[in-house]
Amino acid sequence: MSNQSEHTTPKQTEEEKLTQESAFSHEQKDPMAEYYQLQRTLYTYTLVLIGIVFPTVWYFYSLNTALNYLIGAIVSVVYLRFLAKDVERLGQQQQKRLGGKGLGIFVILMLVASKWQQLGILPVFLGFLTFKGAIIIYTLQSVFLLSQQSDEEAASIGD
Amino acid sequence: MDIQSASVIAAALAIGLASIGPGLGQGNASGQAVAGIARQPEAEGKIRGTLLLTLAFMESLTIYGLVVALVLLFANPYV
Repeated sequence: MSNQSEHTTPKQTEEEKLTQESAFSHEQKDPMAEYYQLQRTLYTYTLVLIGIVFPTVWYFYSLNTALNYLIGAIVSVVYLRFLAKDVERLGQQQQKRLGGKGLGIFVILMLVASKWQQLGILPVFLGFLTFKGAIIIYTLQSVFLLSQQSDEEAASIGD
Repeated sequence: MDIQSASVIAAALAIGLASIGPGLGQGNASGQAVAGIARQPEAEGKIRGTLLLTLAFMESLTIYGLVVALVLLFANPYV
């Protein structure tokens, strides 16, 4: 029994080492991991903002206005997706224009909003700006985290 | 000049002028980013992430001009 445990322990440590090494090499091999993480964070923030603003608009205005906001917000997520794809492909294949598809979707949305009487331009446009709110939140968060880290490092050096 | 003609000219000016600055900025930023990735391939994720954020900010300036132009053309409050 004790021999078995002696045999398994070094084996386990070897396996752990191997998994750690493979994870490390995977991080080294995939420099785009940080970019995909940023994309996921931006989508999450945008969806959280939609989840907060949609019921608020419904409560203070009306369901119609809230649905208008929701249409704009969904298009903003699609726009962000197209922009992220364009940036991901930048330099890898020939592109005519960066962010052209996303801008086209926005033009279609605004044309439909201006022509269709049930859609209001302002709530749709403000809904479209939801992704920008998410970007501002992410930027502020990263700036404050960086300044906090540098403060902590300065304090540790001072000690 | 009537209001409709003035609106069409204003819409053209709005989208035209609003796309000059962001166009130059986007081209410059993208070129620099590609050069940076070529120099430091290991920092590709960080460079592309920063480029995504800056492009989103720059493109929103074009979007503002586009909104003004579309409102002037299709939902003009003065016509």
